[in-house]
Amino acid sequence: MELAGYSCAVAIAKCYPVEAMTKDNHAVLVCCGPGNNGGNGLVCARHLKMFGYKPTIFYPKRPSKPLFDALYQQCEGMDIPVLSFFPSEAHLITDSYNFVVDALFGINFKGPVRPEFEPVIETLKKVESPICSIDVPSGWDIEKGDANGLQPELLISLTAPKLCAHLFKGKHHYLGGRFVPRTLEQKYELNLPPYPGTDCVVELKDTQEDGKA
Amino acid sequence: MDRINVSRLSFRRKGSHKKDKHRQEHFENSSEDIPRIKYISQTEAQSIDQQLFTEYAFSVDQLMELAGYSCAVAIAKCYPVEEMTKDNHAVLVCCGPGNNGGDGLVCSRHLKMFGYKPTIFYPKRPSKPLFEALYQQCEGMGMPVLSFFPSEAHLITDSYNFVVDALFGINFKAPVRPEFEPVMETLKKVESPICSIDVPSGWDIEKGNANGLQPEMLISLTAPKLCAHLFKGKHHYLGGRFVPRTLEQKYELNLPPYPGTDCVVELK
Repeated sequence: MELAGYSCAVAIAKCYPVEAMTKDNHAVLVCCGPGNNGGNGLVCARHLKMFGYKPTIFYPKRPSKPLFDALYQQCEGMDIPVLSFFPSEAHLITDSYNFVVDALFGINFKGPVRPEFEPVIETLKKVESPICSIDVPSGWDIEKGDANGLQPELLISLTAPKLCAHLFKGKHHYLGGRFVPRTLEQKYELNLPPYPGTDCVVELKDTQEDGKA
Repeated sequence: MDRINVSRLSFRRKGSHKKDKHRQEHFENSSEDIPRIKYISQTEAQSIDQQLFTEYAFSVDQLMELAGYSCAVAIAKCYPVEEMTKDNHAVLVCCGPGNNGGDGLVCSRHLKMFGYKPTIFYPKRPSKPLFEALYQQCEGMGMPVLSFFPSEAHLITDSYNFVVDALFGINFKAPVRPEFEPVMETLKKVESPICSIDVPSGWDIEKGNANGLQPEMLISLTAPKLCAHLFKGKHHYLGGRFVPRTLEQKYELNLPPYPGTDCVVELK
């Protein structure tokens, strides 16, 4: 999770350099869901803070597990503010945040979106600041996507891209999570592209439709 | 323009609102005005670690992953893989019985991902879940483990492009245990560059060791230790980019800015 969240922050920083994020001194919003995708978001928020961004977290459903308690406490220790409620209108988010990190739902998601999260997703769809989704655009079917769902501008696939990434129509698609042992990669014939040098992310191009990377 | 009213649930720590004036003035003033980076004592190093794991709620394996990763990145900057021509980028990683050894295991794993060919020497494995897992992760990456240390320095010099010294760190108290004495003595004669993680192994954390290991590279973690003043090698890097601002201020570490998203910064 630490390596995954870190690589998300690195990919985001490549696409949205901190100096260019001029709203409210590099302010960004990180929306964290109730599972591991949310955990990736908490890690990502911490590293974005180290890189000079000003993250604010929205974390409505915190699992009562030591891992997530610790990740949350680490964010508190870094003075990352936490919203007590989600802004009711999309323009409030657009005006305040340079981009939104979508760490709501990941590979364990099964539709439909729970009632508590419905309004969040609906508002995010109208936000005009870029959305950066971690691993899977939240609310999408992992394989079939969702034409009416969230349309992020940046997708950071972790470990390997999911089938729904073929339907990703945003600007930037990165692969992160550079920790797959060679034997595992071969077992699943992942055919991962080479990561440049010591980088923990690599840009994926042309992954739509015919799926060629 | 509407702004979101942030109603904070989290406790805001005292002092964190203070602007880091020294950081802002870094590029404006002459170098005399910038507070120098602090070299810390053994007690300070141990206290900082303790606070990271208690007050700041980090887990050992979490920070060890970031620390080991930054060591691999710093090493790769100084010894680029394409230039490591002996035996297809072969390198040796010597891991001691504590956390420094754990950093070494993580470092090996990332060096492997970067294209090096690490071999591990790990004579004393603590029977704790963290270290067993780290070891198993290295096995899963297909990394060979030496069953005994080469008896002669030239064997190491001939086979390995460099040696990562992850034997002893901030919890070391002299003298070196008998099992490790021959390892240290052999390493002193090795001609391949030695890259020490955090502290050159066998050195007093504060006073160094004029007769000890003389690494070519040192990667200080979190903050440099006092003995780093006596480091005479070529490359000194700082890694472990995870110190919360309030902790840095509390100990007046005056850490230099890390470039962009880099997890290491060179100390000159």
